[in-house]
Amino acid sequence: MRTAATTSTATPVQVAAFYFDGKTSRRHVVTLEVTGDMARIYSSRESPAEAELIERVCPITQLRVSERLSRAARKVTYPDGAYLEIQDQGAFAALLETTRHRDSLVVRMQQNWRATLAAAAALVILLAVSYLYLLPAAAGLIARTLPASVERRIGAGALDFLDKHILAPTALPAAQRAAISTRFSALTAGMNAVEPIPPYEIVFRKSRIGPNAFALPSGQIVLTDEIVKLLNDDDAVMGVLAHELGHLQRRHLMRRLIQSSAIGAAATVLFGDVSAVIANIPTVLLDMKYSRDVEREADDYAIALFKANGMSRQKLAYVFEKLGEKEAAGGGVPPYLSSHPASAERVQRILNAH
Amino acid sequence: MSDTFNQPGQPDVPASPSFSAPVPPAPPAVEAFSFSGRGSEYFRIWIVNLLLSVVTLGIYSAWAKVRRLRYFYDNTTVAGTSFEYHGNPMAILKGRIVTVVLLFGYQFAIRFNPLLALLVLIAAGAVLPWLIWRSLQFKLYNTSYRGIRFGFRGSAAGAYKVYLWLPLLTFFTLYLLTPFTHQRIKRFQHTESRFGASHFSFNGSVGAFYKTYLVGFGIYLAGFIAILLTVGAGAYPFGGAGEFERTHIFSFVLVILALYAWTFLMYPLFLTLMQNLIWNHTRLGEHGFRSEMRWGRMMFIAFTNIVGIICTLGLYTPFAQIRALRYRVESMSLLPAGSLDEFIADNEPSGSTVGEGMTDLLDFDLSL
Repeated sequence: MRTAATTSTATPVQVAAFYFDGKTSRRHVVTLEVTGDMARIYSSRESPAEAELIERVCPITQLRVSERLSRAARKVTYPDGAYLEIQDQGAFAALLETTRHRDSLVVRMQQNWRATLAAAAALVILLAVSYLYLLPAAAGLIARTLPASVERRIGAGALDFLDKHILAPTALPAAQRAAISTRFSALTAGMNAVEPIPPYEIVFRKSRIGPNAFALPSGQIVLTDEIVKLLNDDDAVMGVLAHELGHLQRRHLMRRLIQSSAIGAAATVLFGDVSAVIANIPTVLLDMKYSRDVEREADDYAIALFKANGMSRQKLAYVFEKLGEKEAAGGGVPPYLSSHPASAERVQRILNAH
Repeated sequence: MSDTFNQPGQPDVPASPSFSAPVPPAPPAVEAFSFSGRGSEYFRIWIVNLLLSVVTLGIYSAWAKVRRLRYFYDNTTVAGTSFEYHGNPMAILKGRIVTVVLLFGYQFAIRFNPLLALLVLIAAGAVLPWLIWRSLQFKLYNTSYRGIRFGFRGSAAGAYKVYLWLPLLTFFTLYLLTPFTHQRIKRFQHTESRFGASHFSFNGSVGAFYKTYLVGFGIYLAGFIAILLTVGAGAYPFGGAGEFERTHIFSFVLVILALYAWTFLMYPLFLTLMQNLIWNHTRLGEHGFRSEMRWGRMMFIAFTNIVGIICTLGLYTPFAQIRALRYRVESMSLLPAGSLDEFIADNEPSGSTVGEGMTDLLDFDLSL
């Protein structure tokens, strides 16, 4: 502002201040005035506590002014570490008016309710967009770029762990197992032309937690005896395997890992200092959506595989009808269906697919 | 390094300065700490900090930390003058980058190879005391009052003793040494801190720490039993055997929730007991401190804060922080033994940066 030069002729604004020289903790009572580009402080002669009179002149460009807060004293710091503490906010603001000092953008935002509310709205929108679009897109990109060996290493040992705790050796006849494996590899052969099939291995196990099937990052698809018996239909079993292969093909496990880590980190930043348990609640809830998203994608993959082989989608729908029945009856199904879309909705989707 | 035990109950005598002539009575008035921060203002700072940190993918968080601490320090006043924070955001950013790299390295190691992860963990254990030591230096050096900087002169060897050796010893003695280790840590921190050229001293005895832990544990146990007897009695009424209805399950859930809430409140309880214990035994030269927090009040603040935070989906957080901080600060007072004008500065090289980010993420501070 050019007006600075003109104000120098007027009577300078005076402000009461405390001066600390940075060498001792002694508090000097001084008066601050700014004339042109120079700031001068001097101790008042009436103050008997002052052994010596203070006078210091310094160009205002060398002084650093603390940010404006509504109730805290302002501080003006000299290059050598000495500083002024000013209690009278109003008078100091008037003095700053006469200089070129201007609050930074951040300070102006922080001291303005309208800007704060705009920032809050922007934050909410940004978080929502990140959650709905940016994070899934980024995680998908990273998951596709990472070599498959990384995923494999993460998954190594998972099957051993499951074998120890919830799985037991299969009781299905060897012939039936061979038939399932052979048929599925024939089905995937047709699919290979469209999208490359990731290496996979079908593992048969007896389950202690009811009918289930799941894919492991290591490329193993675990198929339990219970689900084979529950479905009691070869085409439907193919549907289950196709769905799990979809998870492997789309790198869902890696994607979920990245997404849930990111959400967990964000929740810890936002709520971590309140309570670790409370920070976990939004993490779990928000992660559910991602879980349902990948289930739908895997369903789509299964639909495509059925279509490529000219199989009836009714069979695919039958899988979820059957699991849905069991779920409604309060059976032991939930592991397969929790955090999954509602069975009825999935059946509809499969039947309506083009 | 060999001074494992001071006789409990026999406080270290502060080295009496040569000029301490018998001071006449009529000591200066007690100077209460005051805190002028307000939730509504801090909310604005907090939300802008959060937005900019998110937009810059966390880079701004170092500047956010400086703004936050400046707000806290500038609003903390004793004897008519406020504190000042001088931390350099670039230094904090560098520290945070190192911390993030270390944590990611560990996360990756743990997924690839457990042995590698173990090695990383051991390396982290070996480095941690050094980081704590550096961050103590950084934090104190960057704090000033009346133009005089605080400082920390403790040695790295001292830091290794209290942050590595004693915790290991505590672990292998079934945590029975916890109060002892805690006392040694606080003694290390407080006797090695200085304000300008003046030293802090600490005379809290090991016995006092054991007593405080016992009191805290006793209060916890009493509350635990009280919950079982009152709320729990509803879940398992005497005589009403056989009828296991919905109300029983409801009461049972209520008991679990009440016990969880009570356990959660142990943090403010211990924080209160420790702040009082530590500051009532700390001196700066001949000047003393007093902390008069009441645990019932602090627990009430912590409990209502968390309810507020949950009900507002986190928006109450800045108000909650200010409320708790204000109570903690305003429970403190300075007991000056003479004029506060006599401290002189002591120029020493500054503390480094890396540890600052580390303790920020791990958050070690147990007391003010």
